[in-house]
Amino acid sequence: MNDESALIDGLRRRDPQAFATFFERYADRVYRLAYGIVGNEADAEEAVQATFISALEAIDRFEQHARLGTWLYRIAYNHALMILRRRRPEESLPDEDAALPMPSALTDWSTLPEDRLLSREAQEILRNAIAALPTTLRAAFVCRDIEGLSTTDCAQIIGISEGALKVRLHRARLALRERVSEYFGEWVASNDD
Amino acid sequence: MTCEELIAYLSSYIDHEMDAALVAEVQEHIAHCRNCRVVLDTTQRLIVLVHDEGQRTIPAGQRRALFERLHRAFLNRPQTWDDSNAQASEGNTV
Repeated sequence: MNDESALIDGLRRRDPQAFATFFERYADRVYRLAYGIVGNEADAEEAVQATFISALEAIDRFEQHARLGTWLYRIAYNHALMILRRRRPEESLPDEDAALPMPSALTDWSTLPEDRLLSREAQEILRNAIAALPTTLRAAFVCRDIEGLSTTDCAQIIGISEGALKVRLHRARLALRERVSEYFGEWVASNDD
Repeated sequence: MTCEELIAYLSSYIDHEMDAALVAEVQEHIAHCRNCRVVLDTTQRLIVLVHDEGQRTIPAGQRRALFERLHRAFLNRPQTWDDSNAQASEGNTV
């Protein structure tokens, strides 16, 4: 079943095969987006479950001018946010109009060997750095740079303008690069010793 | 182009969302500015790394259990599901 409207019709008819296709096609994608926002497996699974239940409950009202995947991601994004707010209710929003901080970590680690950058330790550093981003910036970053969705889709999923999405993405990349460069820069320095 | 301008344009350059004249200015700047070149190279490397690292899937055991739970719920009609789950399909943005 490849055709999206046939899939939607199948879900509306409660066709078990349509459900299997729907789950296979989207469960991992929804999980990745949710994991990127909530930062742990248990909460990401909860978000996936809540997303599919919400989507299947609302499938009869789904308007087919929207894309199924974008609609589902948007539901997932909202569930992930609700879970996150339950856990961290008091996060303050960053000032998106503040001047961009100029980068200060200026060691070139981009040529470090692949095995070093893909090591367990490096992955841990990346994960922690992403988790430390403010939620608004993290969501834009996860959607565009981890999930690889377009600016237009990410703006729709998050419910902001494309311009605002680009601003958040840019700030997220710079903040993350700064944080990660502090660690990886030390690795370069230790290699030079 | 100044360093401040280059940093402001960095994502547009990486995402190929710039007109040719500005692209030429960026390239001319980084040909002479080591610090901006490092910021560009490390940002591009970072994007590739996180994309690769982030390609996780639901762990197999949990995936099967999740499928079974949702499949049962799907077959048992949505009216029995908790109404609070429907809230997330409405607005609610950051």
